[in-house]
Amino acid sequence: MSEHRSDERANGIDDAQHDVVVVGAGIAGSLVAKRLTQAGFSVLVLEAGPATAAAFDDYSNHVQAFYAATSKGPESAWPPAAGVPQPDTADIRTGDGYFVQAGPLPYGSTYTRLQGGSTLHWLGVSLRMLPEDFQLQSSYGVGRDWPLDYWALEPFYGEAEHEIGVAADVVDQTHLGLEFAPGYDYPMHRIPPSYSDRLLAAAVDGMTVNLGEDQLALKVRNYPAARNSMPRGDYRPVGAVDQRRAGQGDGHGLARDLGQRCAGNTACTPICPIQAKYNAGKTLAQADGRTLQVVAQAVASKIQLDPVTGEVRGIEYQRYDDPASARHTVHVARGRVYVLAAHAIENAKLMLASGLGSASGMLGRNLMDHPSIYGWGLASHPVGPYRGPLSTSGIDDLRGGPFRARHAALRVDVGNDGWRAPTGAPDSTVTDAVANRGLFGTALREHLRSTLSRHVRFSLNVEQLPSRSNRVSIDPRYVDLLGNPRPVINYDIDEYTLAGMAAAKRVYQEVFRRAGIKDCTDPEQGVWFPSVAYQGDTLHYHGMGHFAGTHVMGNDPAQSVVDTDQRCWEHRNLFLVGSGSFPTMGTSNPTLTLAALALRTARHLAKELST
Amino acid sequence: MTSRRDLFIDLSVELTGYSRVQLLGTGMSERYLQALDEVLPDGMVDEFLATSAALPTMTIDAILRSETWGPVTRNIMILWYCGRWTALPDSWRAVHGTRPADSNHVISADSYQAGLQWVAAGAHPAGARQQGFGAWTVAPEEAAS
Ligand SMILES: Cc1cc2nc3c(=O)[nH]c(=O)nc-3n(C[C@H](O)[C@H](O)[C@H](O)COP(=O)(O)OP(=O)(O)OC[C@H]3O[C@@H](n4cnc5c(N)ncnc54)[C@H](O)[C@@H]3O)c2cc1C
Ligand code: SF4
Repeated sequence: MSEHRSDERANGIDDAQHDVVVVGAGIAGSLVAKRLTQAGFSVLVLEAGPATAAAFDDYSNHVQAFYAATSKGPESAWPPAAGVPQPDTADIRTGDGYFVQAGPLPYGSTYTRLQGGSTLHWLGVSLRMLPEDFQLQSSYGVGRDWPLDYWALEPFYGEAEHEIGVAADVVDQTHLGLEFAPGYDYPMHRIPPSYSDRLLAAAVDGMTVNLGEDQLALKVRNYPAARNSMPRGDYRPVGAVDQRRAGQGDGHGLARDLGQRCAGNTACTPICPIQAKYNAGKTLAQADGRTLQVVAQAVASKIQLDPVTGEVRGIEYQRYDDPASARHTVHVARGRVYVLAAHAIENAKLMLASGLGSASGMLGRNLMDHPSIYGWGLASHPVGPYRGPLSTSGIDDLRGGPFRARHAALRVDVGNDGWRAPTGAPDSTVTDAVANRGLFGTALREHLRSTLSRHVRFSLNVEQLPSRSNRVSIDPRYVDLLGNPRPVINYDIDEYTLAGMAAAKRVYQEVFRRAGIKDCTDPEQGVWFPSVAYQGDTLHYHGMGHFAGTHVMGNDPAQSVVDTDQRCWEHRNLFLVGSGSFPTMGTSNPTLTLAALALRTARHLAKELST
Repeated sequence: MTSRRDLFIDLSVELTGYSRVQLLGTGMSERYLQALDEVLPDGMVDEFLATSAALPTMTIDAILRSETWGPVTRNIMILWYCGRWTALPDSWRAVHGTRPADSNHVISADSYQAGLQWVAAGAHPAGARQQGFGAWTVAPEEAAS
C-alpha cells in the first residue's frame, strides 16, 4: 500500500491538504493515525525508513538477516537505510556511531528507524506506571510531578492494553497502589511463567531485602507482555502484518493464521519471526485505508512556520527511492494539524533543526533511560533457559516505597535467555569450553549440557530522574548523509540513580544467595558495557532503549515544552507525542504509557478537528 | 576408499561428542567441509583429514597441541556447535597465510539454526524451531538425564 502511493508522491503531487500530518510510523504515530482515520479524518503519515516490515515475505528476510548476522544485537535484524542512520549497540563502545556521545558518560540505548519503529525489536514488557510515579516530587521530594495523575490516564491505559494486545491477569498486578477500573481485565490471559520462574519463585517468594530503613518482601510476578496469549472474552489476538502492494495478496493487512499465539521462539528482541509480539505495523494495518496515506522513505527534515500566526504551515521531507543511496527529492506535506511521533530523540532533533520550541529552554533536556545492571549465575539444577519469551517474570516490589526519597527505585527482570545478553552465550560458553578449558568430545558435550542448562540472568532496571544537563542537542558539524543533524547526547548518571544501581547489585546478590544460584557475574569477561565508578565500586550499565523526557509535559509554559494534550505551547497546531513528553519515568518500560498518552491526544484531536 | 566427508564426520564425532547420525542430521557436513576449503590454503584440508585418519594412534590431544592443527580443530568444534567460523590466530596466519574467508562470521542462516549448542542446552535456536505455546513452562528435556 505505502509503496503504491509513494510513487504518486515521488511524482510531485505535493500540495494535497490533509487533516493531519503525522511524522513517524512507530507505535505513537500509528495509534494516532488509526484513531483519526477511523474518526473519518484524512491522515498523511511520513515515515523515514523503508516499509520492509509491512509485507510478510519482506519481514521474513529480516528474520533471515538475523540468523546470518555475526553479531546478534538488538539491531541485527534491522539495518537502516543509508540516509536514515540509527544508533547501534555496537557503536557505544567505539563512540563513532550515529549518536555524537558528548559525555561525560555514554548513553547506552538505541532505537530503530524503519516503518514500525522500535517496537520491531522491543521486548514488549507493558507495565503501567505506579500511581506514586506521577507524584514523585510531592510524595518524595525528588524529580518532577506529572501534570496528570494516574486516574486521568487509567482509562487510556486500558485502551492501550487492548490496542497493543497485552497478556496479563489483573490479580497479579494489583499491588504497590496500582488499581484498575472495576471489572477490568487484560485482553489476554497472562503468558505462562517459565519453568525457571517457578523454581525461582519457590526459592525467593517471601524473602525480604532492606533498602535504607525499608524492609521489603519479594515475590516473583508475571509481568504484562505485548505478546499474544489465550484471549479473554471475545478479544481476537492480532497476528502478523501482511500488507501487499495493490494486486498482490488477499487485500487484508493482517495474516489470518500466523502469530495469534506466542510459540516460544526466544527471539522477541531482535525479531519475533511470527509476530506474536506486538509491533506498530499491526496498528497501522488497522487504520482506515480510505483516509490513510503512508509515505515511506520520507524523512521529515524541517518544520515550516507561518511567520504571522506562529502556526506550522508545512513539514519539509526528503523522499528517496533507493535505501542504499542519499539521492532524494524534497517535498512539503500540509495539514491542519501536525503530530511529531518520530521518537523522543528525533522529535526533539526535528524541533531543534527547525529552530523551534526554545522558549522554555527545556527542549531536548531531561533525557532519561533506565541504566541497568546485569547479574548472571549458575543454578544448582537445570532450569531450562534459552526457551520461551526472553523473560516472563520479574520482581516488582522495589518499584515503590519511601526509600525513593533517598535513592532510585528498581525493577528486577528475570531472564529466560540464559547468559545471552550479558555474555553472548551460548556461543561464548562454547568458545570458553573449547579454547580455555581444552574440552572436546563427550566431555565438551557434557560440560555444555550441564552449564548451559543452569544459566540464570537478571537485569536490574534502575529509575533515572530528569536532569537539565542530560540532553540531546544539535551541532552543524555533525550531520548525516542527507544533511540532517545527528543527535549530540550529553549524559550522566546522578548520585540518586547511582545509589539505586548499587542497591540493585546488592539485591541480585542476595536473591542469588537465597536461591542457591552461584554468582558468576564478571563484567570483564562479558559483553562490553559502559561503566561508572561509585563508592569504590565499578558499576557496569546497559541501556534499556527507554528514552524519555526530551519534550517534557507540564502546566507551565515556562517549564515545559508541551501541555497535557502533548500540544506544543508555542505552536498551537503542533503536537509532540511519545515518551519525550514524560516528566519522569519511574521503573516501568515506557511504551504502554506513551501509547496511553497518544490515545488521549488522539481523542482530543478528534474532538478538536470536528469543531 | 573413505570419502573426504566420511573422514570429516569421523573426526567430528570425536571432537563434538555427537554421533555420526546426529551430525549428518544437521545437514551441514558438506557446507562445513566447503568452509574449511575456503579458509585453509590449497591442499591443507586433505592433509588435515589424512592426519586425523590416523586416529586413534594420533590422539585428539596431540592434534589439539599441534601448532598447525590445534587452532583449526578448535574452530571445527565451534563450527559444529555455533555454526560460525572464528578467524584463526595471527600466529597461525603468519605461518600459513590468510584467506579472505578467514574472518569471524556465521556460515549461513542454516548453520546458525543447526548449531549443536542448542541441542546441548536442551533448547532450540533462538528465533527458529519454535517449541509451541507454553513449552517453556515444562522442565527441559535434558534436565531429566
Ligand atoms: C532493545 C529494546 C527493547 C525494548 N523493550 C521495551 C519493552 O519491553 N517495553 C517497553 O515499553 N519499551 C521497550 N523498548 C522501548 C520501545 O521500543 C519504545 O519506547 C517505543 O518503540 C517508542 O515508540 P515511538 O513510536 O515513540 O518511537 P519509535 O517506535 O522509535 O517510532 C518512531 C518512528 O518514526 C520514524 N522516524 C524517525 N525519524 C523520522 C523522521 N525524521 N521523519 C519521518 N519518520 C521518522 C522511525 O523510522 C520510526 O518508524 C525497547 C527498546 C529497545 C531498543
Ligand atoms: S517468544 Fe518467540 S513467538 Fe513468542 S513473542 Fe518472543 S519471539 Fe515471538
